Amino acid sequence: MRNLAGVVAAIGGSVWLTRSALADGWNMPLGVTDVSRDIHGLHMTIFWICVVIGIVVFGVMFYSLFRYRRSRGAKSAHFHENTTVEVIWTAIPLLILIGMALPATATLKEMYDAEDADLDVMVTGQQWRWHYEYLGEDVSFISNMSTPRDQIDGAAAKGENYLLEVDQPLVLPVDRKVRFLLTSDDVVHSWWVPELAVKQDAIPGFVNENWVRIEEPGTYRGQCTELCGRDHGFMPVVVEAVSPEEFDTWLAERKEAAAREASGVDREWGMDELMTRGQKVYESVCASCHQVDGSGNPPVFPALANNPTLMEERDRHISTVINGVSGAPMPAFNSTLSPVEIAAVVTYERNAWGNETGDIVQPSEIQSQLE
Amino acid sequence: MWQVIKSVLAAFFGVQKEQQRKKDFEEGRPMTFIIVGLLMALVLVVGIFLLATTAAE
Amino acid sequence: MAPKLPPQQPLQTPAEQAGDGAATAGHVNEGYHHGPSGLMRWLLTTNHKEIGTLYLIFSLSMFFIGGIFALVVRAELFQPGLQLVQPEFFNQMTTMHGLIMVFGAVMPGFVGLANWMIPLQVGAPDMALPRLNNFSFWLLPVAFTLLLSTLLMPGGGPNFGWTFYAPLSTTYAPPSTTFFILSLHIAGISSILGAINIIATILNLRAPGMRMMDMPLFVWTWLITAFLLIAVMPVLAGVITMMLMDINFGTSFFNAAGGGDPVMFQHIFWFFGHPEVYIMILPAFGIVSAIIPTFARKRLFGYASMVYATSSIAILSFLVWAHHMFAVGLPLVAELFFMYTTMLIAVPTGVKVFNWIATLFQGSISFETPMLFALAFVVLFTIGGFSGLMLAIAPADFQYHDTYFVVAHFHYVLVPGAVFAIMAAVYYWLPKWTGHYPNERLGRWHFWTSVIGVNLTFFPMHFSGLAGMPRRIPDYALQFADFNMASSIGALLFGTSQLLFVLMIIKCVRGGEKAPAKAWEGAEDLEWTVPSPAPLHTFDTPPQFHHREG
Repeated sequence: MRNLAGVVAAIGGSVWLTRSALADGWNMPLGVTDVSRDIHGLHMTIFWICVVIGIVVFGVMFYSLFRYRRSRGAKSAHFHENTTVEVIWTAIPLLILIGMALPATATLKEMYDAEDADLDVMVTGQQWRWHYEYLGEDVSFISNMSTPRDQIDGAAAKGENYLLEVDQPLVLPVDRKVRFLLTSDDVVHSWWVPELAVKQDAIPGFVNENWVRIEEPGTYRGQCTELCGRDHGFMPVVVEAVSPEEFDTWLAERKEAAAREASGVDREWGMDELMTRGQKVYESVCASCHQVDGSGNPPVFPALANNPTLMEERDRHISTVINGVSGAPMPAFNSTLSPVEIAAVVTYERNAWGNETGDIVQPSEIQSQLE
Repeated sequence: MWQVIKSVLAAFFGVQKEQQRKKDFEEGRPMTFIIVGLLMALVLVVGIFLLATTAAE
Repeated sequence: MAPKLPPQQPLQTPAEQAGDGAATAGHVNEGYHHGPSGLMRWLLTTNHKEIGTLYLIFSLSMFFIGGIFALVVRAELFQPGLQLVQPEFFNQMTTMHGLIMVFGAVMPGFVGLANWMIPLQVGAPDMALPRLNNFSFWLLPVAFTLLLSTLLMPGGGPNFGWTFYAPLSTTYAPPSTTFFILSLHIAGISSILGAINIIATILNLRAPGMRMMDMPLFVWTWLITAFLLIAVMPVLAGVITMMLMDINFGTSFFNAAGGGDPVMFQHIFWFFGHPEVYIMILPAFGIVSAIIPTFARKRLFGYASMVYATSSIAILSFLVWAHHMFAVGLPLVAELFFMYTTMLIAVPTGVKVFNWIATLFQGSISFETPMLFALAFVVLFTIGGFSGLMLAIAPADFQYHDTYFVVAHFHYVLVPGAVFAIMAAVYYWLPKWTGHYPNERLGRWHFWTSVIGVNLTFFPMHFSGLAGMPRRIPDYALQFADFNMASSIGALLFGTSQLLFVLMIIKCVRGGEKAPAKAWEGAEDLEWTVPSPAPLHTFDTPPQFHHREG
């Protein structure tokens, strides 16, 4: 019923363009940065220019249609071509456009000025998740959509932030200039958060720049906006903006955790803990292509369960995870997964779903291969 | 030649006096107009590029 | 310089066959159709009218196939959640919808109209290269059968969007992509050959006395379109060949790991793609410029400025391609350059709209169905132009890019733009093709349901896009639910109302009010000097063209 009411609202809205364009949830958000407000201003300016031109042009048109209709006995005049009129209707749009180009140029220059950032965050797109790395801080993590499959399939009620929620949001400080460096491990993605007015393509082999200085703490949600394959619609972006102090505390905690993780490389790991850890990594990173049960999606994504070649070639298995496969969708995980994670996931793949090779891959072995 | 350039400019702007248009079509050779037109298009490209370069500074 | 031509062979001996029993009386009043009958007649025909009809029927069938794909998409998007199809298939549907509509429905639709009308409008007996004409048409069913067959192949059909950005369309593409490339090559060859034919016809076969500036605007716009086609279809062929090499022969044009450049793909694609959008709209300008003066019973306000504006648009269309790429990380200078050129293109486009409205002013206007479609074109295309102007503002484009706002924009210029123009042309020229007026009542029903359907489908997309809904997603967040439901209902209405269009055409072919040679009171061009229906062969002796003064 709520939806039906929405339909009526949408029809009404279609007619009352001007009114609705100002209403909440129908228009571009104002956002929480200087740039986002500038862009919103440009958007509204050009919108009102279009409305005014539209009223004039359609006004004349509908007046003519009404006033000069044949059923009313209108006789057609015979004028055509008038240099003065033509000069005027060419010159006026030209002037309007020049007037529009000036502020647009200024805003664009501001957007391109990513110098002097306080914090650099590397954003890497992967099918179909985002990887964030706080450059120079040894902190990095993967951010997956956390909406359960049941909600998508309609088996469970949809939550408030359906499709726009992740397991680990990107945490950013307010009032600091944060520079994003964007790239991709596989296909072209695009990282977008409407309230931050940042939309930048993440392209394999390229590093793009953008920046933001958030003014209000809060949770800001967006999505991948460049078609990137099957789960393009399930690759949300969530940014959690916190005060600088909170951010520093958070970063210190993450750094400590990262250090603990790094020290794990040196010790000997047991089968059970590798399997537990490996399953977590597998389901967060590998399952989107190779499926939770390892059945893959041939011919593009090979099965990992009951794959004799894979079981025989332990070394190739490891090097494939580390280096990826050139010319195929398999990305290199050397920069996005830690040695412990790689060791765990390879161990898991070699022992799960009835593979049962009994192989244990130690993080130290991965570490030596990475070096 | 100046008249050709003026006519091409008028075409770029989209407005030309009927008389001049007739004259161009009767007296001018199409090739001159096409070549001058292409050159002017090049000038336009370079012009906008210079404008963009200046604006970017 | 006149090239030496071999002496003309007589096409067929009179003994071969006198006109086959054409279904409609009066169709063979000059009774000299020679050649095979039945299926072979259509397979081997070199007659511009028959080939035009083939093109139009092909275009209409593709319009329905592409439309069904669109309805699958809209049905899935009716509510949040995945109900009907899985994302893999959803992506194939959006991709195929785009490819079929662009290359299979709109372009062949305009070529069909060109085939029928350009010889009639310039007073030529046929297209300049009739056999080539037959070949260019029959390439199309081959191309599109191949394209559609990829849906049944293992791994499915193309699923990377009609813009097929690499490396999603190369390294990550389904195995059927090679067939997709082949089919696009064939369709491209067809377009190039068709364009060559149109240019040859217009430049060489005009009636004595008809100068370039006497040609109807539909002929002018098609001449310019044909040059655009010849300029950019090879670019498309180039980019898909590079894909082919990347997929099958180990090159790395677009594979970053091999030193290739995925952004180069987008540059090459849009260098083709932007002129391509004008290929799909310039002939529409020509059609509307014929219909509005006819039903306003007043000469087009600025014929010359229309020609100039069309040429300006054509030239500028080569200078704006990167406005599709504002978010790929172009250097600042490039962003500014493409923003300025894109804004410039609004000027000649505006000039066209002003010209149509000045033509209406102080006319004597009646509202037959072709006029209704032409007027809806002017209004709704202008709305598409407005959103285009908004998209041209590069900083704002960072927010609009790849959202439903863009989907709304290009559907406004393509559906009530290009498609409405084709429909207007069909209503306008059906009396000439069939000898009967289209059923006015049916036409009106078709018009109003289409207009309501189109707006209900595409207007809410402006809002969902601005509110943050990316395009090409199979499922969406809850705040977009109402807009999407409205769009889906509109799409269903628009889709089903096209059955009225088919019904109208069938009725008009089979009978209806008889149309005289000059079917519309205010119509002026040469096609209205031949009988309705136009006999199979017209202008065997070139007519003397008398251009009108002042």
